[in-house]
Amino acid sequence: MDVKYINPFINSVVTTMEMMVNTSPKRLAPFLKDNNIARGDVSGIIGFASQEIVGSVALTFPEKTVKKIYSVMMGEETNGTNEDIQDTVGELANIIAGGAKEEFSSMGITYHISIPTVVVGKNHSIVHKGGTHVMVVPFKLENNAFFMEISIKLKNNWKKNNR
Amino acid sequence: MKILVVDDSATMRRIITKNLNSAGYDDITEAENGEEALGKLEGIQLILTDWNMPVMDGLTFVKTVRTMDAYKDVPIMMITSQAAKKEVIEALKNGVNDYLVKPFTAGTIAEKVKGLAE
Repeated sequence: MDVKYINPFINSVVTTMEMMVNTSPKRLAPFLKDNNIARGDVSGIIGFASQEIVGSVALTFPEKTVKKIYSVMMGEETNGTNEDIQDTVGELANIIAGGAKEEFSSMGITYHISIPTVVVGKNHSIVHKGGTHVMVVPFKLENNAFFMEISIKLKNNWKKNNR
Repeated sequence: MKILVVDDSATMRRIITKNLNSAGYDDITEAENGEEALGKLEGIQLILTDWNMPVMDGLTFVKTVRTMDAYKDVPIMMITSQAAKKEVIEALKNGVNDYLVKPFTAGTIAEKVKGLAE
């Protein structure tokens, strides 16, 4: 998976967290995922597709992290992984997938994004759209972890013309 | 000033409404998508709409509003995560007056709304 297709999403995560949560997340070493199990308790998943690429990005948060994010964003506390938390996670996934578009458009790629889906529960599965390897990029937001998962597949016509 | 906020995310509607309230705008109506928003247009003087929504997306909503005599001149700002230049141009061509990419700061939204309200 070429890093030039991953970096726009990483940059979008950092910008989004800086603006929505007033804290810059620290990126840790990425790794390839070997199963479908999420590392968090709530995940927002969003698909994207263009003539050149197809894939999906997921943000997965442990309950403690997402409650902290929610309290900063909304100025109030909330209990459990309720509807408010799920809506917030879906919107964060939407903002991050949309935010990466600007960098992709400078590569000549304009993709469309789907409506986000949110999955909740311990050890839930995340099924990606790329049909290829899934890379996990861990982040730390102060002492709270969260993860971005990404799977991108280049379509054959794009590979031929751009390699 | 009566403002309509259209976004499928309740979180985002609350953030936008909170920012508008802080900027002194208290008469806010909310809708979850373009279709619901079309039924809440009466008396609206400014529309803030998302793009990527189920049922009826923001661009379709804007195009529809611009065909309605009573609302064709109401200022519309799109507040969206769609950050590609091509999309900004498409929105502006179809009747959007201003465009704000999420994430945004409270200061930016207040400034833009003030500009459209004047």
